[in-house]
Amino acid sequence: MKYLKLIILLALISLTGCRIDYDIEEVAPPEHLGETHEHEHDHTGAETEEHHEHDITAISGSDRHVHEAGARNHGTEWFFNQPWAARFIWSKMIRDTVILIFLAAVILLASRYRLRKKR
Amino acid sequence: MTDVPIKVDNLEKSFRKTLGLSGFKAVDSLSFQVNKGEILGFLGPNGAGKTTTIKCILGLLKPTSGNILLWNDFPGSKTVRMKIGYVPENPDYEDIFTPLEFMTMFSSLRELDISKDQILSILERVGLEAWVKVRIRNFSKGMKQRMSLALALQSQPELLIMDEPTGGLDPAARKEFRDVILEENSRGATIFLSSHLLSEVETICDRAVILAKGKKVTEGNLDDLLRTEDLFSISFMAPGTESDVHEEKEVVAAELQKTIDELRQNGQNILEVKPVYRSLEEVFLSATRGGKL
Amino acid sequence: MRPVMTFALMTLRNLLRRRTIWGISIVILIALFGIGQIPGYGISNEGRFILDFGLFGLEIGALLLAIGLAANIYPRDKEQKTLMPLIAVPLSRGQYLMGRFIGAAMVQTAAMLAGCIGLMVILLMNGLNIPGDLFPAACLLLVEGWFLLAVVFFFSFWTSPPLNAPLTILLFILSQMPVSGFISILPRAQGFMRILRLLLPHMDVFHIKDPIAHGVGIPAVYFLLATLYGLAYMAFMLSMALAVFRSRDLK
Repeated sequence: MKYLKLIILLALISLTGCRIDYDIEEVAPPEHLGETHEHEHDHTGAETEEHHEHDITAISGSDRHVHEAGARNHGTEWFFNQPWAARFIWSKMIRDTVILIFLAAVILLASRYRLRKKR
Repeated sequence: MTDVPIKVDNLEKSFRKTLGLSGFKAVDSLSFQVNKGEILGFLGPNGAGKTTTIKCILGLLKPTSGNILLWNDFPGSKTVRMKIGYVPENPDYEDIFTPLEFMTMFSSLRELDISKDQILSILERVGLEAWVKVRIRNFSKGMKQRMSLALALQSQPELLIMDEPTGGLDPAARKEFRDVILEENSRGATIFLSSHLLSEVETICDRAVILAKGKKVTEGNLDDLLRTEDLFSISFMAPGTESDVHEEKEVVAAELQKTIDELRQNGQNILEVKPVYRSLEEVFLSATRGGKL
Repeated sequence: MRPVMTFALMTLRNLLRRRTIWGISIVILIALFGIGQIPGYGISNEGRFILDFGLFGLEIGALLLAIGLAANIYPRDKEQKTLMPLIAVPLSRGQYLMGRFIGAAMVQTAAMLAGCIGLMVILLMNGLNIPGDLFPAACLLLVEGWFLLAVVFFFSFWTSPPLNAPLTILLFILSQMPVSGFISILPRAQGFMRILRLLLPHMDVFHIKDPIAHGVGIPAVYFLLATLYGLAYMAFMLSMALAVFRSRDLK
């Protein structure tokens, strides 16, 4: 009981994990973020290979265009910044699962101990 | 010590003040025990702390300080719960079920293997045989009391804790209830009975504990409690009169011997000298200063 | 285990005999029927909208079911004094909580299953294929529903039912926000807001309607991970609820 609060606090701190935790937009590796990576792009109808970044007009209005299958289209970060698509956070899901089960067990045992002690 | 069904030692229960409401001490330094096989009456005016004590015994409330042991185990433990039958004050049950359904489920909750016939016979014993398939929501207060007695009897408990069990019952039903309590006691069950009905306690209890303002004001065998310490009654008759015609005289203890001598000198035959008994109501009112405590 | 399962079945029968569950189920079915009408108005000739809105409807249905089923259980038991004889004799507080929870979860499972089947029927009626991941996606929403049920039970031990619903809805919304969005609520307390957000659940792990609507396959291992995560959070919330319940005096 003496160290119980400390154990719970440590578990909660590891649950937050601060910078290493999963907020996909913050912790995604560069290859996951699709907007600025190098890719083939067709503006004119003819195949060209160039490295470029888009300005905002290229993803809307009359300049809107679609990439080949397998390449990411513009304005789709929201789609790929979801847990199912971001494999790099799956290990963190496992970590959280283990910590939560540990916390549940500690809280359960502690409340049982307190109940008996008070009676 | 493990044979003592209930041992309450220096129990205190306070309710903290919350949001502008004042706190109060419901039970203060209360100690008593209930011995195996006895019927203990637990008495006190409204607000004396009877129900609070019972809830502490059942593990529903946590004592602020003090100890409660049931068969040397703590309240609320599984082994203790399995030995107890509880008849609450103003009971209520899941009202969408019928008594038969509820009794069946309740026995399963207690991990008892009871047949439908056994359940029906318990319901018959408490006078609910005609209401077996009626939803509990249609029951009167008295019928719910009968239902809670049936639930308490289901496991043939070693200890029956009853909180104002006959509050909503008519006199005939009260008599039936009393008979069931006595039957259970003769089976070997210990009875802890909290009641306002002093005549009821007087009729069936072996001992009584009287509370006032959360404190115990008196405790003892009913015989000791009701007997006055300094008042005696002398039955006597004049020689030659018929045997069923006799007179009685009450005297204080200090004058008892002197009075007997005088009566004998006057040729009276002394038939019996016995202590004067008060009614439980008188004892109760005296202990609680007319119920003002 | 026998007392818990008996009490769960009592809870199930109790909830089915009351009318709340039927009201919520009718709302879900009407919502699904409405979603089925969308292509008919020419918004799209694809099933994408039906899937997208249908799964969103199930998600909201899980939230409403959790609140509708569980918010009032403990307060009603306490108010009507049915709690006292149960806790005094046959059940421990843990058995009471688990029995009530499992009973409510059984009703929720049946309602969500009916909702999922309803969505499949609507897709078929519109001549569309049923994606292979639809059923696992609905199962993930069910896990989310169980987690929300545990949250509602947790709140019910220390708040009133009118406060329970908004608190659960607030948690539901906040738990889907990214850290950056959460910090923007109170930018001055950036560190505090970050820690607070990371302590809250990540409910977006249960939501895979977007890839399903767009025909993107989901790896099976993800379903497993998300389910385990949801069950672990549910266990954590239930243990918190039990700790609060065990500390309560039953006056």
